[in-house]
Amino acid sequence: MRTLLLLLLALPLLAAAEPATLIRATELKQEPATDAATVATLPENAAVEALQRKGGWTRIKAGASEGWVRMLALRFGGPGEAKKGDSGVTQLFNVARTGTSGAQVTTGARGLDADQLTNAQPNPAELAKMDGFAADAEAAASFAAKGKLSATAVEYPK
Amino acid sequence: MRRIAFLMLLGLATSAHAQFRLPSFDINKLVDTVKNVGKAVQDIPEPEEIEIGQDVASRLLGAAPLVPNPGLQRYVNNVGRWLAAQTERPDLPWRFGVLDAPQLNAFAVPGGTIFITRGLLERMKSEAELAGVLAHEIVHVLQKHHLKAIQKGAKTALAGDALGAALKDRGGAARDKLISFGTEMYSRGLDKSDELEADRIGVVIAARGGYDAYGLPSVLQTLQAMNAEDSGVALMFKTHPAPAERLGALDKMQAMLDAHAGQPQLADRFFQNIKR
Repeated sequence: MRTLLLLLLALPLLAAAEPATLIRATELKQEPATDAATVATLPENAAVEALQRKGGWTRIKAGASEGWVRMLALRFGGPGEAKKGDSGVTQLFNVARTGTSGAQVTTGARGLDADQLTNAQPNPAELAKMDGFAADAEAAASFAAKGKLSATAVEYPK
Repeated sequence: MRRIAFLMLLGLATSAHAQFRLPSFDINKLVDTVKNVGKAVQDIPEPEEIEIGQDVASRLLGAAPLVPNPGLQRYVNNVGRWLAAQTERPDLPWRFGVLDAPQLNAFAVPGGTIFITRGLLERMKSEAELAGVLAHEIVHVLQKHHLKAIQKGAKTALAGDALGAALKDRGGAARDKLISFGTEMYSRGLDKSDELEADRIGVVIAARGGYDAYGLPSVLQTLQAMNAEDSGVALMFKTHPAPAERLGALDKMQAMLDAHAGQPQLADRFFQNIKR
């Protein structure tokens, strides 16, 4: 029951438990904080399941233990090792584009692959449409206030 | 003060080689470097930067149109415009567009136009993640990464035509070559150092906007979990350093990231706005 609740809490920020590994030996903390109690010390390359992120911390399951580790200590499957094969999104997209609509076909193959970018023709109508969606500084500030976002002074990195 | 810091940063970032050769910190040399960088960039004045950007943006929209969802487009413009207000170029004609393409990518066009694809947006989990990506793209505009690359490549791209002519005559053949070159650049990518700089400054801009600073690192982890062979990420992985390398570089900024990790993520507002 408790696990179910945790999973539900985790849903908005991490769709499902994701397999990950630790890039360095890492303390597993009871709470997402440096000064929280250490549940265990996990070795480099330990395989874990990532459940939920909160700020710079990710809740993980490592064997029978659960707790929080620094999110930057986690690496999800690297390129080529993770999900094998193609998600197929672009194939589906291309079928849709060249499908039944004659208007779509005459515009040729559109999309954001390298060749399609190279051969792209201007689309002033869409450019004008985009202008119409622009936000001015005042509208953006009121949008930020609604989300309780406050402008904060932060220095650029040296 | 912020402006001075920015100029110094610009100097540092664009003259890394010169910096490493300096035996000790020499403020005069640094000022000279900043002046030279300023001069080189001034070769393309801001009005032309904006004009070139509009022409390149029009081509990109020819490759993929906007997602036909005005509410979504306005939402992304609000997030982006708020972030742009935290920078040294708040008064550019900032425009943000969601392209109707399944590939995961985002593009910054000179003069203040930023695109993000539907494919990337659909993999995100909060407004802080969106802010992290938009802030990264905003840095490309602030630091004129693409503009400088266009300028650098103009000699070859224009094959004899002068850059001056291409800048003056918007409808001319030389200008057309310049725009084609500027558009193709998105299939080749920027220098790796430009991308890493956009990450470093981007997380700061997101934090300035009041967002959880871990938004961008979180997106990079999502990308890392994907297969590089996947056609949805092929171009993005080809034109950017590997996500693991980018995360490793951001690891050095943990103190700053942690100081702003408790700021809002706004997951609920994000999901309300991205659904049709």
